[in-house]
Amino acid sequence: MWFSKILSYLRLARAYIKLNWSMQMEYRGAFVSQALAMFLNNGTWLAFWMLFFSRFPVIKGWEQADVVTLWAISAAGFGLGNAFCWNLHNLAAMVSRGELDVWMLYPRSLIPHLALGKMSATAIGDLAFGYFIYIVMVRPDLQHFLLFNLLVVAVAVVFIGFNLWRGSLAFYFGQAEVLSEQWFFAMITFSTYPNCLFDGWMKVVLYTLIPAGFVSGLPVEALRDFDFSAAAFTWLGALAVLISGAASFELGLRRYQSGNLLGMRS
Amino acid sequence: MKPLKNAVETDNLRKVFEIKQGLLRRNAKTVVAVEGISLTVPAGQSVAFIGPNGAGKSTTIKMLTGILKPSSGTASVLGLDPWKQRSKLVHQIGAVFGQRSQLWLHLPPSDSFDLLAEIYGIPKNDYRKRKALLVERFDLGRFLSTPVRKLSLGERMRAEIAASLLHRPQLLLLDEPTIGVDVIARQNLRDLVCEWNREEGVTVFLTSHDTGDIESVADRVIVINHGRVVLDDSLSGVSANTLIEGKPAGLEEIIAHLFNSAASLTMQNCISPS
Amino acid sequence: MKNSIRQSWAVAKVAARSNLAYIGEVASRTFFLAVILFIFLKLWQATYRESASAVLGGLSLSQMLWYLTVTEAIYMSAPRLAQQIDEDVRSGALAVRLLKPISYPLYCLSSALGERIVRFLANFATGAAVTFCLVGPFDCTPAAPIMLLVTVLLAFVLDGLGHLIIGLWAFWLEDTSGLLLIYTRLSMILGGMLIPMELFPDWLKSFVLFLPFPYLVWGPAHLFVHSDWLQFGQLVGLQSLYILVMLGVVNLIYGWALERISAHGG
Repeated sequence: MWFSKILSYLRLARAYIKLNWSMQMEYRGAFVSQALAMFLNNGTWLAFWMLFFSRFPVIKGWEQADVVTLWAISAAGFGLGNAFCWNLHNLAAMVSRGELDVWMLYPRSLIPHLALGKMSATAIGDLAFGYFIYIVMVRPDLQHFLLFNLLVVAVAVVFIGFNLWRGSLAFYFGQAEVLSEQWFFAMITFSTYPNCLFDGWMKVVLYTLIPAGFVSGLPVEALRDFDFSAAAFTWLGALAVLISGAASFELGLRRYQSGNLLGMRS
Repeated sequence: MKPLKNAVETDNLRKVFEIKQGLLRRNAKTVVAVEGISLTVPAGQSVAFIGPNGAGKSTTIKMLTGILKPSSGTASVLGLDPWKQRSKLVHQIGAVFGQRSQLWLHLPPSDSFDLLAEIYGIPKNDYRKRKALLVERFDLGRFLSTPVRKLSLGERMRAEIAASLLHRPQLLLLDEPTIGVDVIARQNLRDLVCEWNREEGVTVFLTSHDTGDIESVADRVIVINHGRVVLDDSLSGVSANTLIEGKPAGLEEIIAHLFNSAASLTMQNCISPS
Repeated sequence: MKNSIRQSWAVAKVAARSNLAYIGEVASRTFFLAVILFIFLKLWQATYRESASAVLGGLSLSQMLWYLTVTEAIYMSAPRLAQQIDEDVRSGALAVRLLKPISYPLYCLSSALGERIVRFLANFATGAAVTFCLVGPFDCTPAAPIMLLVTVLLAFVLDGLGHLIIGLWAFWLEDTSGLLLIYTRLSMILGGMLIPMELFPDWLKSFVLFLPFPYLVWGPAHLFVHSDWLQFGQLVGLQSLYILVMLGVVNLIYGWALERISAHGG
């Protein structure tokens, strides 16, 4: 029963991705240049870290390879999570503009339709960048590479869940675009700096309110020490973020459908 | 300045674009955009200059304003050679483009006026009087200090036209000035343009797809298609003298017919109002 | 010439006013500035501690943070000049701009300058408030703010000319965003946005000094925390020199562009 249900959702995802992909290929030049631009953009940050480590080889036990791993996993995870679910990135704006109505006309659950509706070329650039630097600069063996794949998917799940968190804000606060955007910036920024820099109450924040610890902390440790428990905790965290995100979205949606959101679209 | 007889004179104006194709850009293809246009527009006339997209209309206007250099032929605008004396000419031209604002969106029209006064180098005293006059006549007083983004489209267009008249241009280019504006405000805009045309003798060059605009503003209609003038007549003459398939037709029909086919109309006579 | 200066002053003034009208948007970015400065604090705190020195590259920890406050304020106030030219060319709005008796590049440059000064001051004010809370004051000489203001202004002119040179390629290229990205990323890394030039490896430092990038970012920021009249004079001289050179380049390219417009219509 549940198996066939999952299968049908997978088929739906495949159909959406196929459609979106052929749309991107209609504008091949723009697609390639956007993806390349992301490569270049991320490369700048990597260049900064290489400059930094050329002067200070070790910071709190982290070395250059660890920061490269960090950028590989966060870029690839962010890319995977957003490449095919780009609509979730602007969820707050969609909700407050009343754009959900169109999507609610479709059968099956709303989230998959909504999420898969749009593809992002820049996120594909991120994904490619992550894999590229991991393979070329870290040169993993087979086991590390397999673990890397597993963790990239977990990080993608974190980002999808996080997007649902901040998108749901709009159900509760109406105009939440600025808040949602600022929260996103905070998440991205903390996801691209070594987690070891933060301690005390900040550590708590980074595993709850801004769940960047599941991007820039645990997965990097898992890969560095080949530590399965860190990998398992990454996955646990990812699922927690996703489930709570989906729950807050569904709850918000119920408020939306019951019409308790007066003045939202004005 | 001695009064000009003709605001615009062109003789066999022609523009050919060369489009380079192929990997090494060796195969040059030429496209004729404007094919020998000769026009004489007396100073103070208001002309509707119309044609379908890609007919050569904007190419002609770009040549008249000195932005494009013609491939052959000559033109004189307000007694100046547009591409040799462009910097002189732009001081004499005012332009309103319905789709493109020259006002700053987040600031009141008054600020944009002040800026334009600096850009055109209008002396302080002169500017003060001129601004007061335009504010009164265009009835801008109420919203002169309201940010432009908060104005209605009709109010905004009134401010746009006033802005383009600050430096006392002798030639006013209007491109779709009433697009999106509601019926009443639209009539109001047309009246203002007519008034200014009568009183200051500013020559008006109107491009619009709205026959209402044309009928209330223009004295003369020039239709251009495939780079050639296909109709040139006084407004009253167009309706009176033009037959489509043997029957008299309204302006709207005539224009549609010309846009469609560039066909030759059965004209009883064609008045050249020069 | 006198006329051009008056025109350009008027345009800059209106652009500045127009930006003041939506200063709220700038204020909403404050949070991001706070996040990034907090992360920088943590990063450099760890770096100073582990290298067991109170001074790195001639700067104390609090000077480092103030340095980064200036560089971030410069970076976050970047104008949309090149994109604007791109749009003007593509949409045909250029034909309208050319009907005004003010040179198009001068108009773009003045308007970008007016906009940028407002945004820089707003960013710097909020950044300074955050940094003050994080590390307190540094021994700022009375001359430092004056030096900052003068050199930042020259840096903005120089950067504006850089943007113009890139934007003007819109007459030949379909899209200049790739070039712009390369330019901004180079000025980020080589300009010393994230790490002051003193901490660059020697080979890079000697090479970078011959490029204009350090004088866009590093120069003014470093002078602010390390005010020195001799260096001030050198910086102003170098900036002016580069401005003259780039003015020549802009004139040359704009001349070609005008020729192209008059033949092809832009």
